[in-house]
Amino acid sequence: MNVKAFFVSALGGALELGIGTPDDVLRHVTPEVLAQHLPRPLWARLLTACLGAPKVDAQLVVETVGVANLCEHVPATIVWACIAEIAARALGKSSEQPTAIPAPIVESKSAPAPAAKSGARVALAPAPPLDAPRRPTPPPSPAVQGPAIPPVEHADEPARPAPSQRFRQASTGIGRVGATGAAARRPQAQAAPAPAPAPASQPAARVPGRRGSTEAESETETSVESGDWRGKEIAVDDSQLVDWSSENTSDVRDEDFGDFSRKR
Amino acid sequence: MFAPSDVLQHATPDVLANHLPPELLSKVLAASLAAGSMTPDRVLETVTPELLAQHLPHDVLWQCISAAVARAGVAAPGKP
Repeated sequence: MNVKAFFVSALGGALELGIGTPDDVLRHVTPEVLAQHLPRPLWARLLTACLGAPKVDAQLVVETVGVANLCEHVPATIVWACIAEIAARALGKSSEQPTAIPAPIVESKSAPAPAAKSGARVALAPAPPLDAPRRPTPPPSPAVQGPAIPPVEHADEPARPAPSQRFRQASTGIGRVGATGAAARRPQAQAAPAPAPAPASQPAARVPGRRGSTEAESETETSVESGDWRGKEIAVDDSQLVDWSSENTSDVRDEDFGDFSRKR
Repeated sequence: MFAPSDVLQHATPDVLANHLPPELLSKVLAASLAAGSMTPDRVLETVTPELLAQHLPHDVLWQCISAAVARAGVAAPGKP
């Protein structure tokens, strides 16, 4: 392996492409290094060039000595340090930044692990055998507060038709109300707050104080607390249904909403 | 009688490079890089006459002195 040829190619290419500068070279290949390792004929050439040049700088030194002679006579570690610095800077990294080796993460439940010494490896416990008995998973703790949700009984529940098959799809007529214009709108009565869905069962488990004082406690028509609605077929007459598509709802009045729940 | 440039006409870069120790060579180059130029005066500031007499061949130093004396018209060059 010809390392010096690689050094000549890398360092010469870096200088030619402007990735590195002669100052970068002389930061590593110092005059002391040159004095120790450069042959005397090259030193004579260098002194002659320096005495005849109006300006002595790193570029003059590198061009006079030559990259090939530098890589040939300067120790490889020094040349490599120069190339590594140039490469690190070109890649946006700091050349002094050490290569970080991530330390193994040790999980401790009792006490914090002591500060690991640099370079020390923490011995990990061997993995348990595959046929080892597993620890039982603790059951999840029950909820402290809140209404209990009854289990869904799918087996005994009769197949109910979809609501779309029993009721016509309600039309809110939003577009038509909006089409009347802002001038035709009248002040609307404040809508009563919708009753919050009551828990399906265990009314005694309610925690007083957790619920708002505005919540209605009376049983409504759609209350499902009794639980006896599943077996019953809700009789709906066609006269109770409202044909929203044919009814003129352009003039929305307060009395129209007054019997809204009755129509439903 | 003679200037630093007269010295370097005899103590050429080849002579300096072949006889000066590495530390003196590095000092000469470092001083020149710091100053931005390498002049005979700066070379002799680093490589003093004592160091020249210590490291360079004496015949080279004598030729330098003899040439200066000859320029001054004291004696013919090359003769003691």
